[in-house]
Amino acid sequence: MSKPAWSWQFDPDTLKRGTSLALPSPLSKEWAWGGSTGAGVKVAIVDSGIDSGHPAVGPVEGGVVLEFDPDAEDYVKAVEGPHEDLFGHGTACAAIIKQTAPECELYSVRVLGTRLTGKGVVFAAGLRWAMDHGMQVVNLSLSTGKQDYFGLFHEIADEAYFNNVMLVSAVNNVQSPSYPSQYSSVFSVAAHDGKDPYRFDYNPSPPVEFGAPGIDVEVAWLNGSTIEATGNSFAAPHIAGLVAKILGKHPGLTPFQMKTILCALADNNAAPEDV
Amino acid sequence: MSEDRSFEVLREIARTATDLGPALAPAGHEELLRSITEAAKDIFEAAACSLALLDDAQEELTFYVASGAGAEDVIGMRVPVGQGIAGWVVASGQPIEIADVTRDPRFARDVAESTGYVPRAILAMPLETDRAMLGVIEVLDRREDGGSGARDMELLALFARQAALAIENSRVFSDLGRALFDAVSRATDGDFGVALEQVAREGSGPNPELAELAAHFNYLGRMGPEERLAATRLVGELVAYMRARARPG
Repeated sequence: MSKPAWSWQFDPDTLKRGTSLALPSPLSKEWAWGGSTGAGVKVAIVDSGIDSGHPAVGPVEGGVVLEFDPDAEDYVKAVEGPHEDLFGHGTACAAIIKQTAPECELYSVRVLGTRLTGKGVVFAAGLRWAMDHGMQVVNLSLSTGKQDYFGLFHEIADEAYFNNVMLVSAVNNVQSPSYPSQYSSVFSVAAHDGKDPYRFDYNPSPPVEFGAPGIDVEVAWLNGSTIEATGNSFAAPHIAGLVAKILGKHPGLTPFQMKTILCALADNNAAPEDV
Repeated sequence: MSEDRSFEVLREIARTATDLGPALAPAGHEELLRSITEAAKDIFEAAACSLALLDDAQEELTFYVASGAGAEDVIGMRVPVGQGIAGWVVASGQPIEIADVTRDPRFARDVAESTGYVPRAILAMPLETDRAMLGVIEVLDRREDGGSGARDMELLALFARQAALAIENSRVFSDLGRALFDAVSRATDGDFGVALEQVAREGSGPNPELAELAAHFNYLGRMGPEERLAATRLVGELVAYMRARARPG
């Protein structure tokens, strides 16, 4: 008997057991992340670099600087190793993540460089680097509205999803699609009007799925300083931090399981006793 | 005036327009951009508003227009893409608002260098269309009566969108105009189509592809109605296909 393509994967001898997730009902924040520090979870920040000397950040386990180079393979030159934060934004994201997941392992993927040429391929290379280096959470406070990048980013976002990499992406500010935050495979985040890093909302009318602090928030900046800033790009790392915290306690979750948990725990959805 | 003489005059005008093109083209641009920064400054009751555009190499931002405090100093200023708030905004595609830049002295210095004035608060928004990142618009020190940062960001996004589309349209129009003028000034034997093809081939104009397209249309214009209808349908189908391909659904 012939079988359609791919059906062999479901033969009883081939089919492996996946991550089971016995969910209590109702779900609670205590069940999801109680006692977790995010230890053992690798988190990449695809941004402007991270200042590991900032007291709110702590050690950075590794990283890479990616730059457009027409002579390099795939047009991207990669230099592994420590590097500074060119702007302050990556440091802000790192500190936000450390607030809720203080023991997660941070990696800096610096994709913002000296020119914009080849921005799409450099971003894409950053996401690929994160996947190749076993990152479980990737914070991407960057987006593009350029239609030319639609296919490229879609392919990588799907690849991340199928490899259980949680891609957390800030939506941009205009009323038109931006990538990769537009895709259902990522955790798309915008700022809501709150300050508590443990409180977030789930939007039942996506594409923007999650709301987290990002308006007038105190964030780490260059030279050990802090500043008060606003932007969806500060909301994304709040969700990335909680995702890392949950993964620290429940390793091996898939993105759709993670979204189920976040949706259930969102403050606009949660049971009254857990808010 | 004889037909030959008319053509000679037209060619002279075109040659002059081509030579002056680079100097004249930004004038319309500037007026448009200045009205945008003026309006944004007034609406936000801000100390200043400035607008910077990316250069062709996409390595630098140049402040073209500004209104309000420090405006004279900031116009013409160039900032590398890999540096400062304007650089981060165009590189990341994300808007950002910083309430008090003076809390980080190095950062404040960087900001001052790119604004011509030391603000406390800065709101910066990318100028982007579906096709390209064009630059950044910055509003410095908005009114202090508790205007919501998030709401202002939404409002500035609408401004930025309009500005970006206007800049893009104006660029396409002026590029096409320059390609056409360039071709007229070269049309020595009076064949405009041949001249357009030459402009396209040499790639010397601001946009050789536009010149090539214009050459095709010039040729089509001389053909019969059936051929023109077929060509119109073909181009229509191509545009529809490209739109669908760029963003399915």
